Amino acid sequence: MTTYTICIFTENTFGLLNKITVIFTRRRINIESLTVSETERQGVSRYTITIKHDKREEVEKLVRQIRKVVEVLAVFGYLDDEIVYNEIALFKVATPVGGKPIDIETINKIYKAWVVYWGLDYVVIEKAGNENEILDFFRYIKSYGILEFVKSGRVAVGKTPAGLVEYLPEEVHWEYYV
Amino acid sequence: MGNYMTMVAAQDAAALEEVQTPAQTETPRILSGAQALMESLIAEGTEVIFGYPGGAIMPTYDALFDYTDRLDHILVRHEQGAGHAAQGYARTSGKPGVCLVTSGPGGTNLVTPIADAIIDCTPLVCIIGQVKSTLLGTDAFQETDIIGVTTPVCKWNYQITNADEVPAIIAKAFYIAKSGKPGPVVIDFTRDAQVSPMTKPYEYKKVETLASYKPRVIPKDEHLERAAQLINNAQRPYVLFGQGVLISGAEEELKAFAEKTDIPCASTLLGLSALPIDHPNYVGWLGMHGNYGPNVLTTQADVVIAIGMRFDDRVTGDATKYIRQAKVIHIEIDPAEIDKIIKADAPVVGDAKETLQRLLPLVKQNNHAAWRNEFKKYDLIEDQKITQRELTPEGQIKMAEVVNMLSEKTKGEACVIADVGQHQMIAARYYKFKNPRSYIASGGLGTMGFAIPAAFGAKKGAPEREVVAFIGDGCFQMTIQELGTIAQSGLPVKLIILNNNYLGMVRQWQQLFFEKRYSFVELQNPDFVTIAKGFGIAGHTCSDRENLGESLDRLLQSDKPYLLEVIVEKEENVFPMVPAGAAVADIRLD
Repeated sequence: MTTYTICIFTENTFGLLNKITVIFTRRRINIESLTVSETERQGVSRYTITIKHDKREEVEKLVRQIRKVVEVLAVFGYLDDEIVYNEIALFKVATPVGGKPIDIETINKIYKAWVVYWGLDYVVIEKAGNENEILDFFRYIKSYGILEFVKSGRVAVGKTPAGLVEYLPEEVHWEYYV
Repeated sequence: MGNYMTMVAAQDAAALEEVQTPAQTETPRILSGAQALMESLIAEGTEVIFGYPGGAIMPTYDALFDYTDRLDHILVRHEQGAGHAAQGYARTSGKPGVCLVTSGPGGTNLVTPIADAIIDCTPLVCIIGQVKSTLLGTDAFQETDIIGVTTPVCKWNYQITNADEVPAIIAKAFYIAKSGKPGPVVIDFTRDAQVSPMTKPYEYKKVETLASYKPRVIPKDEHLERAAQLINNAQRPYVLFGQGVLISGAEEELKAFAEKTDIPCASTLLGLSALPIDHPNYVGWLGMHGNYGPNVLTTQADVVIAIGMRFDDRVTGDATKYIRQAKVIHIEIDPAEIDKIIKADAPVVGDAKETLQRLLPLVKQNNHAAWRNEFKKYDLIEDQKITQRELTPEGQIKMAEVVNMLSEKTKGEACVIADVGQHQMIAARYYKFKNPRSYIASGGLGTMGFAIPAAFGAKKGAPEREVVAFIGDGCFQMTIQELGTIAQSGLPVKLIILNNNYLGMVRQWQQLFFEKRYSFVELQNPDFVTIAKGFGIAGHTCSDRENLGESLDRLLQSDKPYLLEVIVEKEENVFPMVPAGAAVADIRLD
C-alpha cells in the first residue's frame, strides 16, 4: 500500500465536506487523515486528505471524480516524495509530585518537541513532524505516562515553485485572505 | 396536524402581507422568495412543472396560483412520477425538466428519479420544500436532510434559506443541470425563504460560466489530430456511439462522419435512434441483449471510436476482455469517464457535436465496405436463429411481434418509451427508429415504473409526436397511480402492457442461471383494462394474433390516452444474451 496525499481546493461553501467524503466512501477508500483550512486566498478552502492504496490508477480515477464536484477548483494527488508535509501532536504527560521528572533537554534537543503548557501535575508537549518522528517521540515519552495524545491530520505543500493562485481559475481576482 | 397547518398558515398570511402581489407591483418590485422562483423559472424558459404540493412547499404553490397563465403544472399522483415525467420531458425536449415537491417524504420519493437522472445524464431541476430554517435539525414535521440524502446522487444541490438568493441560485441550477454532462440538481427551499420578501429588487441574470465548473466543450487540437491519424490509418475502424450524440444534438454530424469515413456504427441502448436504423453505416446495438454482429465484431476492430458513451458493464460484459486488440479513441465530455473502464489511446474531451464537426475535415474519405459486410454475415445468423422465430411464431403472441407491428404501423416515427425488463430489450431490438430522441428508457439505473410517468412527460416535451410506451405487467404496477395524472391532464399517450404474468427478465435469469428455481416472479395481476377504465382511460385486451393488428390500430387511432393490454407468451426469453460477467464474444443465441 502506498500513501497518497490528495490536496483539494474548493470554494468555501456549506456542506462541501460531505460532498467530498461520499466520493471516498462509495469507492471503499478509507480516509487516513483529513484537514481543512482556509488558504492564503479569500474564499478558497484547502482539504488535505491522506489515503493508502495499492493501485495508482484507482487513485487517479478518484481524483477525477473529486474534480467533478461543482465547487471544487483544483485537485492534486501526490506521492510522499512530491510534497513537504507535517503533522502536529500534543501529548499530555503526567508529572506527579515525586514522580520521574521529564527531561526537557532531551525533549527539546533530541526530539525537537516543546512544552507548551505547564499544569500542576502534568505538562502538555507539542511535537511537530512526520508520522515516524511523532511515533518515535511517543515511544520515548510513554514511560512517563501519557494522559492524552492527539495528532492532527497531515498538512502538505507541493514541491514545485508554483503558487496556489496559478491553479485557480484565471478570471477571478483571488484576494489574499488577510 | 390540522392545528399545525392552521398555525403555519396564519404566520404565512402575516408574512405575505409584506409582499406585494405581482398584479399591484410597481418598480422596484419586491417579490417573495416563492414569487422570485416563479419569475426565475419563466426566465429560464420553463413551460411545465411536474409536481405535488404539501406543507413545506405550500407558499410556493400559492405563488404558482398567480402564474398559471405562464407556467403549466401537472399534478402527479406520487413524487416519483413527477421525477420520471420530468425525465421524459427532458429527453424529448432537450430542456431541463422541473419538479416541485414538498419536504420529507416528498423529497425522498423523488430520490429514485434523481438517481436515475444522474446515471442517464438527464437534466432536472428539482425544487424541494423544506421546513423553516429555524427548525432545521430539530426533527420537525416532515423534515428530512434532503441535501444529505441527495448528495451522492445529484450533480449539484443547494439549500436556499434566504429569499434574496433565489434568482442567482436558480440561474446556477439551470446552468449546471444542462451544461457539460447534464444531470439533476436539487434545490432545498426552506419555508421562510419562500415566504419572506426579498430585501432587494428582483433581477435575473442567466449563468453562463462558473469559476469552479468548466466543462470542456471544444476539444484540444492535438487530441483531434491524434484521433484523426488513428482513424485514417485504421483497417477495421468501428464507431460505438451513445446518448452523448443525442444530448449534444450531433445526429447530423455523426451521419456525416460515418458517411465520409464509411465506418460501421453501433449504438448503446440510450444512443438508439441517434442514427436511423436504415442508415447504411448503422449496424445495430451493443450490449447484453444487443445484436450478434455488433457485439462479436468488437473483437475484430483495430480502432474503436467511442462517442458520447461510457462503456457501461451492460455494454462491455467482462471489461478486461473488451476491445483489447483495438486502439481506442474516446470522445467524451466528462473527463472522469476517460480511462474509467477502458483505457483510451486517444482521449478527446469535448462535446460530441463540437468534436465531430472539427474531426470531419481531418478524416479521409474512405471505403470500408468489406469490413461493413462482415456484420451482414452475423445479421443473417441472428435473423435465422432469433428474429424469424420471434416474428413468425406459433402459439401465443410474442412481444417481438407487437413491437414489430407497431413499428410498421407508425413507420418508425413514434417516440417509444420502454419500462425495464424483457419488453424494454424487445422494444429496443424490434422498433425501427427513424428520428432522433425516439427511444426513452431507464438505462443505467433500470428503474421499474419509469415508463408511465416518462410517457406523459415525453408527450409534454414533444406534443406533436406519437408517444407509445411498452410496459411490463410488473412495471405497470409500480407507478400505476399515474394513470390518474394521464387522465386528468388528458395527454394522449398510448400505453401497451406486454403481459406475461411474470417478472420476465428475472424469471429468464432464474431459468438460465438458477436452475429454473422460480423464486417470487409470478404475479397475480389485476384486470388492467378495468383499472384503466376506473381512471377514465379507455382500453382493451388482445390475446389473439388475429386481433393484434386491429388492436394496435384502435390504440393509434385514439385521440385520447389509451391502454392496450397484450397477453404474450409466458416464458419467452430474450436473445441474444451476453451472460453477466462473460465476454461479449461469448454471446448466446439460445
